[in-house]
Amino acid sequence: MSDSPAAAVRTDAVWKIFEHDGIAVEAVRGVTMSVAPGEFVVLAGPSGSGKTTLLNLFGGLTRPTRGRVWIAEQEISDISERRLAQIRLERLGFVFQAYNLLPVLTARENAEFSLLLRGTPEAERRQRVTALFERIGIAGLEDRRPGKLSGGQQQRVAVARAVVGEPALVLADEPTANLDSASSDALLEVMVQLNQELGTTFVFATHDTRLMERAKRLIHLVDGAVASDTRR
Amino acid sequence: MPASPWWRIGWRNLGRNSRRTVLTATGLAVGYWSVVVITGMADGLVADMVRTATGILSGQVQAHAPEYLPDRTLYETIGGAEGTDVPALLHAVEAEPGVLGAAPRVYAGGLVSSGATTVGVLLLGVDPAREDSVSRLAAALVEGRLPTPGARELLIGRELARQLDVAPGGELVVVAPAADGSLGNDLFRVSGLYATGIAELDAGTAVGPLAAIQELLALAPGRVHEIAIRIGDPWAAPGMADSLTRRLSAAGAGPIAVRPWTTFRPELVDYANLSSGSMWIVVLIVFAMAVFGVANTLLMTTFERRREFALLLALGATPGGIVRAVLAEAVALGVISILLGVAITVPVLVWWHHDPIDLSRLFGDFTMAGALVRPVLRTDYPLSMCFYAAGALLLTALLAALYPAYRATRVPPADTLAGR
Repeated sequence: MSDSPAAAVRTDAVWKIFEHDGIAVEAVRGVTMSVAPGEFVVLAGPSGSGKTTLLNLFGGLTRPTRGRVWIAEQEISDISERRLAQIRLERLGFVFQAYNLLPVLTARENAEFSLLLRGTPEAERRQRVTALFERIGIAGLEDRRPGKLSGGQQQRVAVARAVVGEPALVLADEPTANLDSASSDALLEVMVQLNQELGTTFVFATHDTRLMERAKRLIHLVDGAVASDTRR
Repeated sequence: MPASPWWRIGWRNLGRNSRRTVLTATGLAVGYWSVVVITGMADGLVADMVRTATGILSGQVQAHAPEYLPDRTLYETIGGAEGTDVPALLHAVEAEPGVLGAAPRVYAGGLVSSGATTVGVLLLGVDPAREDSVSRLAAALVEGRLPTPGARELLIGRELARQLDVAPGGELVVVAPAADGSLGNDLFRVSGLYATGIAELDAGTAVGPLAAIQELLALAPGRVHEIAIRIGDPWAAPGMADSLTRRLSAAGAGPIAVRPWTTFRPELVDYANLSSGSMWIVVLIVFAMAVFGVANTLLMTTFERRREFALLLALGATPGGIVRAVLAEAVALGVISILLGVAITVPVLVWWHHDPIDLSRLFGDFTMAGALVRPVLRTDYPLSMCFYAAGALLLTALLAALYPAYRATRVPPADTLAGR
């Protein structure tokens, strides 16, 4: 494990404790780890092992109870919401289990959303989205709303949205869980390809064994702690 | 997509539950309709009241000797004791653009007797040929005819006739203090009866030919107390009074005070102001109610879209961006409501302006602020209120969206996206 400040994401003894009906639940317990740029990492483990919580801590979607988290060289544990939003916008991409596309926007508008928030000129947005849609096999679907796309197509749009801004890190929570085998394989191929060709760093939380098989680094979590960390 | 996505998201979100959007917009539009139409009715009522009050007798502008009002002393005639060239004065007044008519008058307090009954009255001397161009007294004639110029005849109110127990053709003894210090008295014949519905006119005023009343009061033909003036737009009276003052001064008419109805009928101005103030309370109540309705709708929609707000936050939107998304939706809803409101308001305004609701079968005429009011709800065109109500509607939508927008920024992304 490296403590390099150039790590895509790094944690130091990070804990997340939830309170449920007065009972403290330790979802993540003192995890210290680092993900280098360009890695293709899978967080695996049984339900309740803390995979999603750790992913949310990486993405600043939830604050640690104790410990610290860095994205690139920026510590995010206790920064303002506004600054955190800026870091998420500029450094992170998310892919969620349930696609989570905005239903009122077209596929193109969904994909270019982060670029729009960054103030990227329209011509560049259009060029990037068109190229990406071509690359991940959904060219021609740019003007469709999510309701007119299949699950696999929607998840590809979600992947396009996550990587279009060339973030330091893409966090994906069970991205293949709602897809059939063929769609899962195709999507997985897209992400492997983006990792290899663009050097995009991916961290997944998943139960999907096919995804685990493609991982270059497999981290097993048990009861909120790292049980094993294997590089391939 | 435009540089800021919030407008497009807000606008498109309205189409996601079109039935709810239409219902909410209709509610706001009906609020707009209520405010504008009720204001139009109130304005119409005030306008009709002013038109009636100033049209029945007083005129919209009056010229007097400077000291004549408020005491209405018999001796304070225009031009002083020497009087003035009345035809020349009338000519100068009528030369002012916007003046529709002018008529000379004399006033005096007096007693009229018939048999054993004596009643105190206001004696009003008018030029029958000119009076019709200023007042609607002739239109109020219910029996007999108008007095003949120069004849000793009186037109009296029906109520006064009842008190004196006289009818057209009957005789009245008139006594009044004259300008020469004597007590003028003469026998007049009742030429006709009028009924205006205004108690003080119908029971307390006797109208005779100018020359006959002047003779009774020992006033020379050039001595009149008032030039009553009718103009087209009663609300232009203050400006018209200023113009006439300048014109008559330039014409060498001597000391003369020209006053608009807003000065000599202040109770009408008070009523108009009260009516206007009441309308603002109506506006406040209507839109305060609307705020809760719209806030409820927007709270529901923001609750339903918690996941989308969480997603926006996860994608890097700031809380300010989330607020803009919700406010944009509220503004879009407000704009739709205004367009709908205008669409349902304008035809009704036009319809009830030209074909007003006549409630005379339910309610008779009544007097208010000293003016006769007919229960006819003719709407005026309250242009300024159209704009104020539109602004208030937009403000309502925005105010109603503030709390839902705040709630949307408080969505915890991780828990919400996990479905917790």
